[in-house]
Amino acid sequence: MRIRIDHRTSYRYASPATGMIQALRLTPRNHGGQHVLAWRIDIDQDGSFRESRDAFGNVVTMFYASGAVDAVTISVSGLVDVTDTTGIVRADETLPSAVYRRVTPLTRPDAALRALAARFADLPPLIALQQLCEALRSELRFEVGLTDPTTPAATAYAAGHGVCQDFAHIFIAAARSLGVPARYVSGHLMRDSRQEAAHAWAEALVPDLGWVGFDPANGISPTEAYIRVAIGLDYLDAAPIRGTRRGGGAETLAVSVDAVAAMGQSQA
Amino acid sequence: MLSRTASALLWMGRYIERADFVSRLIDATVRLASLPSSYGGDVAAWSGALAAAGVADAYAQRHDSVSEATALHFLSLDPANPSAMRGCIERARTNARAVRTALTVEAWEAINGAWLELQRFGTRGGGRERLIRLSEAVRSATLAFDGAIHRTMLRDDAFWFIRLGEAVERADNTARLLDVKYHLLLPRDEPVGGSLDYFQWTTILRTVSALTAYRHIYRDNVKPWLVADLLILNQRMPRSLAACTANAVHHLDELARVTGRRGPAHRQAVAMAARLNATNIETLFAAGLHDVVVDFIVENNRLGTLIGEQYLF
Repeated sequence: MRIRIDHRTSYRYASPATGMIQALRLTPRNHGGQHVLAWRIDIDQDGSFRESRDAFGNVVTMFYASGAVDAVTISVSGLVDVTDTTGIVRADETLPSAVYRRVTPLTRPDAALRALAARFADLPPLIALQQLCEALRSELRFEVGLTDPTTPAATAYAAGHGVCQDFAHIFIAAARSLGVPARYVSGHLMRDSRQEAAHAWAEALVPDLGWVGFDPANGISPTEAYIRVAIGLDYLDAAPIRGTRRGGGAETLAVSVDAVAAMGQSQA
Repeated sequence: MLSRTASALLWMGRYIERADFVSRLIDATVRLASLPSSYGGDVAAWSGALAAAGVADAYAQRHDSVSEATALHFLSLDPANPSAMRGCIERARTNARAVRTALTVEAWEAINGAWLELQRFGTRGGGRERLIRLSEAVRSATLAFDGAIHRTMLRDDAFWFIRLGEAVERADNTARLLDVKYHLLLPRDEPVGGSLDYFQWTTILRTVSALTAYRHIYRDNVKPWLVADLLILNQRMPRSLAACTANAVHHLDELARVTGRRGPAHRQAVAMAARLNATNIETLFAAGLHDVVVDFIVENNRLGTLIGEQYLF
C-alpha cells in the first residue's frame, strides 16, 4: 500500500526562545516490507541541519535554530510503499538483542505488571506475546489527555487507561519481565481522517522468527497500514521530536498528521 | 566557498541558460515568421519573440519598427542588448574566468570555445543565414557546457550553484514565454484547429524543445490547454515551471547538505514547489492563467533575490 504522510508539528512560545536545538527522529528507513519513495523535512526557521544515525540505527536530524524563535513549525511529508509482513520485521539490527532487555525508568515493572506477565509465562513465546497484546487492548481503556509521554508503564497500568505510548510501555515492561527482548516503535498508522498525534507500538524478539511487531492499542500486529519510523528502549529514545531551548516561557504545541492512502491520487 | 565565487557560478549558470533560451527562441521564431503573412506575418512573430526575451522596451528605445533583420540582430549580437546571445556568452565567460579554478578544464573550454566562436561574428551580424548559424553554434556550446559539468565536475557546492542558477533562469524563461503567449493557450468553446493557432502553439513548444515530448505524453493533436499543462505542471518536462522549481529545491537541499544551513531561499523554493504540486490545470485556468504566470514570475524573482541574501552575494 502506498501511504502519503503529511505531519506538522507547531510550537509557539510565550516569549522568543534562543539557542533552540531539536533532535528529529522523523525519517523512516527502508527495510523488508517498507520502502521510502520520497521524504522531506522542512522547518520554517533559519538554521543548520545535520543528519546522523543513533545507536538504534534511527535517522536523526539535528536542527540548530539561528536566532531567537517565537514559533516554529516542523513539516514532514513523504510517500512510502508498505507491504504486509504479518508483523515480522526484517531490518538491519545495529545492537545485540540483549540490549532490549534493559529496564528503563519508563518501563520498570511493579508487582502488578509482573503479575500480568506471569499470566502468560507458561505459553510458547509467540502465543504469550499475542495474548498479552490482546489482553492489554481488552483490559485497558484508550483515553487521551490523562497521561503524558513521561508516565511510567506501572502508573498507567494501575490507572487502567492511557494512549498508544502507555500501551506500548506496558507491553514492553511485561515482555521484558518474561525475559523477552522488547522495544518501542514510533511511527504512523494510516487512517482516513486527520490525526492529532503520530502512533506508537512495540516489537518483541520471538525465537526462530525474529522481531515481531505488536500494537497493543489495537490488539493486532502491524499491517500494511503501519509506517515504522524510529525505535528505542522506550519513548524517550524514539520520540519524534526532542529539543532544548533557552527562555521562551510556556509552550503550546499543535500536531496534525495526515496518513492517507496515496492510491488514486496523482503522484506529484 | 567565498560568496563572490558562489555568485559568479550562479550567474554563469543563469547566463548560459539564457543564451540557450534566446537561441531556441530565434530558431522557433524564424520558422514561424517564414510562414505567409496571412498566418500572422513576421512582424507579429518577432515582436512576440522580443517580448518573450524580455527586451521589448530596450528594442523600442533604439528602433522605430520591428523587422526580422533588426530583431534578429538585436537578439543575437547587438551590444546594446545585454540579453543578446553575445551578451549572455560574454558575461558567462567573464564569470567563469573569475572562478576558473572552481571549474574543470572541459567546462571552461566549452564556455571559452563559444566565446571565441562569437568573436568571429563581430557585432554587425551579416544576414539571416549567418545569424542562424551563430544561433546553432550557441546552442551546441550550451549543450557542450551542460555535458561538461555533468561529466566532469565534482558534486560539491560549485556544481550545485551552477545548477541552481540554471533552474531559476529556466523557470523565468518558460514563465515569460507563457506570459507573452498565454492568450493563445486559453481554452475556447469553438472547435480548435485554426492553422495559425496550430503554428503558434507548435512554436511555443519548439521554443522549449518540447514538441516531441508533447506527442509522447499526450498522444494527441496540439491543444492549447495541454500545452499549458505540459509547460506549467508536468514534472517530467525539464523546462516546465514545476520541474524547474523542484530542481531548485533539490539543488538547495544539496547546498544545505554541504553548508549545513537552510534559510529563506530554501523556504521560498519549497513553498513555490508545494503550490505547483497542489494545483491542477483547471484550477489554474479558473484563477486566470495570466495572473498565475505573472505571480510565478514575481515569486521566482523573489527566489533569485533570496538566494543572493541567503548566500550573501
